[in-house]
Amino acid sequence: MSDFSMLDYGLGIFQALLIIVLSPLIVGIMRKTKAKSQKRIGSGIFQPYYDIIKLLRKDEIISDQSSWIFRATPWINFVTTASAAFFIPVFLVYSPFGVVGDILLVVGLFALGRFFTMLAGLDTASSFGGLGSSREMMVSVLVEPALFMTIFVIASFYGGTNISTIVSSANDTSILVVPGILFALIAFFIIMMAETGKLPFDNPSTHLELTMIHEAMVLEYSGKSLALMEWSHAIKQIILFTLFVDIFLPWNFVEQISLIGISFGIMLFIVKVSALASFTAFIETRVAKWRLFRVSDLIAMAISSSMIGVIFFFL
Amino acid sequence: MSENLSIVYVIIAFFSLGATLGLFTRGQKYHAYFTYIPSAFASFLTIILSLAIFSSENIHLTFFNIQHLFDFEIFIDGVAAFFLLIIGLIPFAVSIYSLSYSKKFDDKKNNSALGMLFNVFIISMILVVISNNVFFFLIFWELMSLTSFFLVIYEHENKNNLKSGLTYLVMTHLGTGFIFASFMLMYAQTGSFSFDSFRDVTIIPQYVKDIAFVLAFVGFGTKAGMIPLHTWLPKAHPSAPSNVSALMSAVMLKIAIYGIVRYLFDFNAIGSSSDYVWLGVGIIIIGSISALVGILYALVENNIKRALAFSSIENIGIIFIGLGLSVVFAAFHLLSLSVLAFIASMFHTLNHSIFKGLLFMTAGSIHYSTHTKNIEDLGGLIKKMPWTAMMFLIGSIAIIGLPPLNGFIGEWLTLQSLLAVFQIPSNILQVSLAFAILAFALTIGLAGATFVRLFGITFLSKSRSSKAINAVEVPRLMLIGKAILASSCVLLGILPFIGINLIVSAFDLPYTPSSPFETISITNADGSNFASLLMPAVLIIFVSVIVGIFAFVRIIGGKTKTIKYGTWDCGFGSLSERTQYTATSLAEPIRRIFGIFYNPYNDITVNSYAKENLYLKKSINVISTTRNIFDEKLYGKIISGSLFVLDKIRKIQSGKVNAYILYIMITLIALLLFVGFGIHE
Amino acid sequence: MSDLLLPTQIDLLHVSAVILLIATFGIVVRRGFSDWLHAYRYQTIILAGIVALIGFITSIWELYIVSALTLGIKAIIIPKVLFYVTKKLDSPIKLEMNPYVSLRISVIASALLVAMSYFMALQLPISSDETISVFLPVSFSLFFIGLFIIISRRKALSQIVGLLTIENGLFLFAVVVTHGFSLIIEIGLMADILVGVIVSSILLFRMSKTFDSIDIENLESLRDD
Repeated sequence: MSDFSMLDYGLGIFQALLIIVLSPLIVGIMRKTKAKSQKRIGSGIFQPYYDIIKLLRKDEIISDQSSWIFRATPWINFVTTASAAFFIPVFLVYSPFGVVGDILLVVGLFALGRFFTMLAGLDTASSFGGLGSSREMMVSVLVEPALFMTIFVIASFYGGTNISTIVSSANDTSILVVPGILFALIAFFIIMMAETGKLPFDNPSTHLELTMIHEAMVLEYSGKSLALMEWSHAIKQIILFTLFVDIFLPWNFVEQISLIGISFGIMLFIVKVSALASFTAFIETRVAKWRLFRVSDLIAMAISSSMIGVIFFFL
Repeated sequence: MSENLSIVYVIIAFFSLGATLGLFTRGQKYHAYFTYIPSAFASFLTIILSLAIFSSENIHLTFFNIQHLFDFEIFIDGVAAFFLLIIGLIPFAVSIYSLSYSKKFDDKKNNSALGMLFNVFIISMILVVISNNVFFFLIFWELMSLTSFFLVIYEHENKNNLKSGLTYLVMTHLGTGFIFASFMLMYAQTGSFSFDSFRDVTIIPQYVKDIAFVLAFVGFGTKAGMIPLHTWLPKAHPSAPSNVSALMSAVMLKIAIYGIVRYLFDFNAIGSSSDYVWLGVGIIIIGSISALVGILYALVENNIKRALAFSSIENIGIIFIGLGLSVVFAAFHLLSLSVLAFIASMFHTLNHSIFKGLLFMTAGSIHYSTHTKNIEDLGGLIKKMPWTAMMFLIGSIAIIGLPPLNGFIGEWLTLQSLLAVFQIPSNILQVSLAFAILAFALTIGLAGATFVRLFGITFLSKSRSSKAINAVEVPRLMLIGKAILASSCVLLGILPFIGINLIVSAFDLPYTPSSPFETISITNADGSNFASLLMPAVLIIFVSVIVGIFAFVRIIGGKTKTIKYGTWDCGFGSLSERTQYTATSLAEPIRRIFGIFYNPYNDITVNSYAKENLYLKKSINVISTTRNIFDEKLYGKIISGSLFVLDKIRKIQSGKVNAYILYIMITLIALLLFVGFGIHE
Repeated sequence: MSDLLLPTQIDLLHVSAVILLIATFGIVVRRGFSDWLHAYRYQTIILAGIVALIGFITSIWELYIVSALTLGIKAIIIPKVLFYVTKKLDSPIKLEMNPYVSLRISVIASALLVAMSYFMALQLPISSDETISVFLPVSFSLFFIGLFIIISRRKALSQIVGLLTIENGLFLFAVVVTHGFSLIIEIGLMADILVGVIVSSILLFRMSKTFDSIDIENLESLRDD
């Protein structure tokens, strides 16, 4: 495992860059799908790129109450999510950085970003920020057991928390045999919706204090900082989608490096992830925002689903 | 080794010097220096001693020999040396911190007592760890308990402190009672008070060892603060002066862990009997419950020091989970996993000492500077005390187990050993231990929420009272004390092999120690990589991403201005400090979901302008309280029950002299009968 | 028989068991009356499919008829009747408002019940046939979850749905272990259930007329104090 050539490392960095670069596209595709299923035309799928570039060029206004935590948070968010991208296999069956960190490190990096986002919400002395942090605290606390239980099912079945190991053994098996993994899939899907702030949990397209969670925390951001926040949120989303695809739909990964294989792998990756993104967006148009305290019911579903996954796995 | 032995003498001499000077230089200008510089020096020597033991052989000698009962034996092996490292490192930082911190008590007339007790407390902990004999172990254990009791009630002007000191005294003696019973059981089998005879495990039957271990576990667990015997901990730790709370939480709890480790891995041969499966599972269950319940109470606590004390219970729980897993794995002869879980547990022990010491010192700095422990009165301190805020941030990130600090490594290792339960060849155990992951994961999540709340409310947004507005940064010596531990957090996080190698060589584990730049990796049976972690490389990725994105933003974005302006107030005019989220409201959602633990209670009083018209409200007061179900349901019942019984017993004490004589007579007759029957047999 | 199973057949068995459990959880997690009935209908359709599958594997043709009967009576007629009753109910709120056990706890409790069923199925000394080892714990789970629904809910309709779930569990148990009773008994059982549902629907209807709600707490007043 440890003897990788320079080409491998180059491809590894290329995979990470691919995730970082493609992330706004997925956001665009999701918005387009939503618009279509609501009988709107919607903006183009490249709109998020234009938004990020425009925001990067704007002056920013920051709150006079805020401290360095507020200013550092967008950078920390970007660094943590972009670093997590290095450990995710995209079109190769492995990531050469797999030996550096595993899925628990990815979870930890996300948690670090979220820790600072919650602090930034509190930093501006606005009640909106506190509201967002308080709700995010609740959701993140409840998601954690479901997440680790799902990781447990996946790790026990595929023999590792190292994502490269998981993907290569998933690539070798056919998925239908394993009821435990099916339950893990349900749990992971719910977790994915919760972590990326999708509809039954959080409505990212409104600025209404009744519904917002993530938006409330980033309400005070503008300009460059906002661009980085949005971008890192998009990267986190695509990483979760990629993990989903890697673990549950693991077909036709590139094992032998060749130009055709890689370009085919990239195409397949984009198709799979955009299909998943469209599906998620479609689900989003079908459900309403749940009351905050009913969100815990949904997460309880994820927890029990992963618990049954464990039972199926062992008995 | 003779040099090492002389270091021991020098350590004891310097602590005694500190204690004496502390007592006799009362009221002098350089009082603090006379007291704390010797202790800092002696603590530093303790670190050197433990490192020397790692690289050379153990010290084992007997001092005086009185009928084999009371001989003072010392024995410093790797296990003791590992805990000596903790007793060296934390008190070293705390002593430097105390040089300035003790100025807070300058106008108190018993300031000298604080310095004396501080020194005696540390030396008693060292002596507990190195003594190798039941009698002296218990003497020093008691000395440790008593000095810490006096330190808890040091600020005895406050009635609450006295009360919590009393709770501590009762609970700690309950624990000592259990330990004593356990030792007596072992003595009954071996006929010797020396720990050496206890190590000779072959002569003791298995069931006796099990009972002795359970008794010792309860006893040491009381000291460590396991649920449900934790009740003294959240009372005593906040009452003591902050430098002492740092020592109690960071070091004294670890002495209890030391006792359990001694029992488990030294006096017992784990893995030799299937009983250890159930002992291990029991430890895991108690650990999970302690972790979960501890952090649940920390989350809603407004007293910053009490919140930290509850979080200590949580971390002790995590350490127990690791220990229990190690025992279970060993019972199934999964040696490498057992080593993994044990390393996880000991790594977390070391970590917890470091960051909990750091956090308690920071809490002390906040108290030093604002004279309040209630976080609802704080806020905005990051602008007033930037360095303290930085230290608290490092401590928080470390304690909630986020990369790249040391807490992450400890929790990563613990999680990996939990994930490895699928290798246990028993279905029922696999599934039930898998559910321990649920508790552990919830604990991690709640810990994150707790420290967001503590840091956010204390340091961020607007100041909530004049106490916080007038705060200033603490003196430099206090910052240096904290910085020592903060840098240890960073160092152990980025180069975890420093810690792992220490543990491996201390406990003589079957594992080859390697360079600090090694990858932690766990491999499957077929050779594929189960998990691996290489923190220096993570740091390199961090740095390259930072450089990359910074360049990207500069190139695409160009130069832009940053304007400072008021927070968005929806156009309603300026926001005040009363419109921000408070500590209570921040935790409200979680308080509602886990309401069963808190009994949350809102007392609402509405004042109207006139009695006739209740709709014109003058003011609405809401008092929101949470209650501790353990104090209320468990201890409340026990206390009222024992009061009832004692009330009945009090009838015996009638006040009449005749009655007392009657008692004497009855006792005498009873004794005589007893002896008489004894002889006839 | 078990030696002759193809891998795809085993896959199908596993997957159908998983879907059956998911449908059963649909009853536990939802609050609306019609949601339960939908979930029950899905559950029964899958059950009918499983019966047909077992019929195919064991090549007992009677099981196809049993499957068709299940589909006709339990998946079409019974939900129809109950939907009709639900529509006719007076109370405007057709939701389980505050069950005795909150939804999130009941979901996790049901997961634990599933775990328990698996443990119990392991203990039973029944031959380790592939179909039995897959479906026996599932039938236990259905049975216990049905009981749990009856215990934890307030509304009379949920009691009926719980009862039907128990019945489905027992039915699955019978089919898996004995490969079906004789056809006559099977038809009799179906008719029995149908009558039972109709009677309880009438009771439900009367209850709603008398008490203006179908909360079973009202039945406490029937006690002779």
